[in-house]
Amino acid sequence: MDDWISMPLVGFPLIASIVLLAFVSNTNESMRRRLANPIRMATLVFSLVLLVITTGMFFQYFGNVSWEGISFNNYEFLHRYSWMESLGIHWSVGMDALSFPMVWLTTFLLPVTIIATWNEKNGATYFPILLAMGGALIGVFVSLDLFMFYVFWELTLIPMFFLILMWGGADRKYASQKFFIYTFTASVVMLLGLITLYFFQDPVNPLDYAGSMTGRTFDIPTITQHALMENSNGNWYLGTNIQKILFAMLMLGFLVKLPAVPFHTWLPDAHVQAPTGGSMLLAGVMLKMGAYGMFRLPISLFPHALEYFQLALLIIGMVSLVWGAIVCLGQTNLKKMVAYSSVSHMGVILVGIATMQPMGWAAALFMMFAHGIISPMLFAVCGAFKHHYHSMEIGAMRGMAKHSPWLATSMMFAWMASLGLPLLAGFVAEIMMFIALWYFLAAEGWSVFWMVGPALVLAVTAAYYLWSMQRTIFEGGDETQPPSSLHGEPVPDIANPEKLAMLILAFFTIVFGVMPWIALDMMHDWTIQIFEGLILPVLGNFKGGA
Amino acid sequence: MSKITTIEPFTKGFVEAFSPELILFTGMLLLILVPNLGKGTFRIPGTQLRLPWLMGGTRFKFSSDPRLPAWIASITLGSAFLNVLYVFSQGLDRVLIVSESGKELFLINGFSRIFEMIFFGALALAAFSSMNRLQVKGIGSKVSENELYNNRRQADFYILMVTCALGMSVVALAQDLFVLFIGLELASFSTYVLVAFLKESKVGVESGMKYFIVGSVASGVGLYGLSMLYLWAGSLQFSVLAATFAVSGTTALPMIGIGFVLVGFGFKVSAAPFHFAAPDAYAGAMSPVAGVLATASKAMGMLGLVRMLLIVAAPESTDGSAVWLVCLGVMAAVTMTWGNLAALGSDNPKRMLAYSSVAHAGYMLAALTAVGAWNWDAAVAGDASAAAVAVMTALLFHLVVLVAFKLGAFLVLSILESEGGASRLSSLGGLAKREPLLAVAMFIFMISLAGVPPMAGFLSKLLVIMGIVRVAVGDMGAEITDGGIYALGDMHWVWWLALLMVLNSAISVFYYLRVVVVMFFDEPEEGREGPLPRGWQVRVAILACVLTTVLVGVAGDSLIRICEMAAQSLNYNW
Repeated sequence: MDDWISMPLVGFPLIASIVLLAFVSNTNESMRRRLANPIRMATLVFSLVLLVITTGMFFQYFGNVSWEGISFNNYEFLHRYSWMESLGIHWSVGMDALSFPMVWLTTFLLPVTIIATWNEKNGATYFPILLAMGGALIGVFVSLDLFMFYVFWELTLIPMFFLILMWGGADRKYASQKFFIYTFTASVVMLLGLITLYFFQDPVNPLDYAGSMTGRTFDIPTITQHALMENSNGNWYLGTNIQKILFAMLMLGFLVKLPAVPFHTWLPDAHVQAPTGGSMLLAGVMLKMGAYGMFRLPISLFPHALEYFQLALLIIGMVSLVWGAIVCLGQTNLKKMVAYSSVSHMGVILVGIATMQPMGWAAALFMMFAHGIISPMLFAVCGAFKHHYHSMEIGAMRGMAKHSPWLATSMMFAWMASLGLPLLAGFVAEIMMFIALWYFLAAEGWSVFWMVGPALVLAVTAAYYLWSMQRTIFEGGDETQPPSSLHGEPVPDIANPEKLAMLILAFFTIVFGVMPWIALDMMHDWTIQIFEGLILPVLGNFKGGA
Repeated sequence: MSKITTIEPFTKGFVEAFSPELILFTGMLLLILVPNLGKGTFRIPGTQLRLPWLMGGTRFKFSSDPRLPAWIASITLGSAFLNVLYVFSQGLDRVLIVSESGKELFLINGFSRIFEMIFFGALALAAFSSMNRLQVKGIGSKVSENELYNNRRQADFYILMVTCALGMSVVALAQDLFVLFIGLELASFSTYVLVAFLKESKVGVESGMKYFIVGSVASGVGLYGLSMLYLWAGSLQFSVLAATFAVSGTTALPMIGIGFVLVGFGFKVSAAPFHFAAPDAYAGAMSPVAGVLATASKAMGMLGLVRMLLIVAAPESTDGSAVWLVCLGVMAAVTMTWGNLAALGSDNPKRMLAYSSVAHAGYMLAALTAVGAWNWDAAVAGDASAAAVAVMTALLFHLVVLVAFKLGAFLVLSILESEGGASRLSSLGGLAKREPLLAVAMFIFMISLAGVPPMAGFLSKLLVIMGIVRVAVGDMGAEITDGGIYALGDMHWVWWLALLMVLNSAISVFYYLRVVVVMFFDEPEEGREGPLPRGWQVRVAILACVLTTVLVGVAGDSLIRICEMAAQSLNYNW
């Protein structure tokens, strides 16, 4: 019973939510209303148990695992059970310093989301679906088998689809379908890439965990090991052409999920229509699945192709960064603005990856983590705004500081964290990305003008955040303008559960801003390990220093 | 690899080998006789003695029970299914049934057994779930449950179901084109009548006529092809045809003959461009019957194609791929794309499912194409027959699990049908509020059809894609390790069929999700707010389909093994 991952972290939330949903669907409407509260409490307790487990893992309480010093392609809490023997499919779980912060983040966001959306309607079905979402997300991050990874990758779509469809805004029908179809299309191309990769393995080599019918394996550590051996022999694993094709096919799935411009159009729709809880998990964890997947598969398997596509990735990252920020300036919908700011921040991750500097990758990892704490707060603020003012329009409510001080304060804090205020978590990642980009440009001897984009973005980000604050929180002064959507009712402030959720998120934003090393140490260590274990042996050297 | 036993009909061992068919035959006789049992008497001529001979007259209570035919049919089909399953669990015996003159009539091996399982399983579920729920006055007519209950035409319906199963199993076993054609026509004629069973409604008659006319033309063309093959080879035996084909297969006469046969079976699997009757037939038939058309009847067509293309017109083991490869590849590409695009525009859920079934036929044809390409390049094709087995396994697996989720979807529609029609998407409106578990079941069927994990439909699509990619990639991995250099273009072109397939399944998500959205989002139609019609049988059948879909999806290993066994028995002819 030391398998802390697959049983408590993945299995129990999924099974519990299925049991709860099956139980609830057999009851009538009034019974469901009465059940909402106990079910909410049960899911909260359950998600707290998950949080306790992952926090215990961090403090080396379980298994005495140190998250630093895990060499490349080694995993802690590794467990492997045969699943479908004929195809070489295993239930294979494990974590390293790449996946552990994401797993902790998921378990951290789950109770926070439940608290922040305490009074969501149809609670008896809403909270179990959130729990299922959490289980599926953890499954993505811990699976070390391509098949299992893909199953959980797609499984996350189903609860999110229902969250948007059943609890979303007015246009939710369109948004939920667009979300599902868009990301599904990208993932099936990725699936074909995975299967082609599977069959390009050499079955003559004695492969561990190979399928009896195919002689090939879906096991990620084994495949990574073979790729590493081939790559560091001076060859390209699978040859130049095939490697590039497979890299592109896998990257497509991850870029759409991230999302990067031009594949980002599903995100604003999904976010604007999604309920607060859905948005928080979507922005907080689900987008990071894309970045996580890039590190876990294409980058680990095909470093040559990464080098080949480096410029393309850099350009896509830059465009996402700049385009996302500029589009934000023109938004009148608060949630849409925050959604586009996510696109911009995901651009930071992509630029960090494209620098191919240890610091750039550490920046990307920390950005995944920091954005995972800040963006749920952004969406919690948007959700509270919508919930209490029945409107999402910037400028519908003016002089908010006067009427809703809690909401105004939370908004200001979240906005500041997102625009990268020093001593808050977002700043650390951004400054690291800048330094890495400088290193990269200097080493390559490239023009300094590459810095113009990111520098511009800093200004633009500050501009749209400050401007939107000006139009909601401060402007108005004495003659405040309550939103017309309130129809003359008194302007409310946020409810107690929302306050609690905001406080928790703000607290951790500060903690990871002031003491980033809590998480950054293991991320930095992971990049060192992957550079020592993969990039240096394969590519000889990497450009720049750091 | 078991030894083959050759027996003649009605000799020792025949009953064991032929037991599923004999069960069906007995069931058919019972279905004809038992509902007619009554207090009829027979007067001995010239006397006043009346001997009770039990036929006709006032029927007994049990024999006039309208549920009786359905029970007999379900038990017959179900026990035939269990019988095949039992034979599988006991290990397969290979039995060849020959005529007195030594002509091979039936071959019973893993491959034919698994098709029997598909046929009997699908028909048993359809028969069981339509128990006591036959429409009296056509689809959509509002009738009381009492009227449903007292429908007198039940016996005909279930007799046809059983004869359909009998015909299909003859097709599965046939080793001779003549036997095959007899089985095919027995099954076809049963389905023609089943489609047109609702003769009171306009749409039932129309769909039945369309299906019959197009179907009989396709059969005629197929029969013409068979006669050309006879003209060329001088025999209708598969073994003789295959041997002759290996010698002079690429001449004009057999090519044309096989082309015509392809038309006949293409209609059965509803491959484009022979699929035009399918949407009308599905929309006009009762939902369980439409479900049978989409699963068992399609499996029968696939079986015919496999027999014709892989046994008779086998890919040459010496010089690369099969002669029909390009033709079938184009057909697969057109079929899956056409089916999906047409399904996008249909508002009738049954038409939508019909077009989705066309698309699934395209996926299966793509798999069949890959089998034809198994020997494409001696240098890199690798273990070609293992690759062929892998693709056949995928094909069989797909056909088996299709029964669960395709038929299941039709069964959900059949509940709505008996409450006033299911010919508009909005009929499904608010199903999540009216009966949540039914909506969840439909949701599972839909995402399984779309190929979303962790459902059986995902696993089957994964297996098909894996099979195709395996054939396309071959041994390149090993060659690369030895220093070979390969590019995307070096893979066999069937890889692009796999790409087309994944893109098509992305398109298909659109119309499957639309059903889900209507069920969970929209309000019920006017007058449909109340509870759904009762009927525990259909719900039990749906539950069985759901459980199969989910359980096979998360733990399909043993089914994969069974299918692999069956595929091997085809490939290595044991």
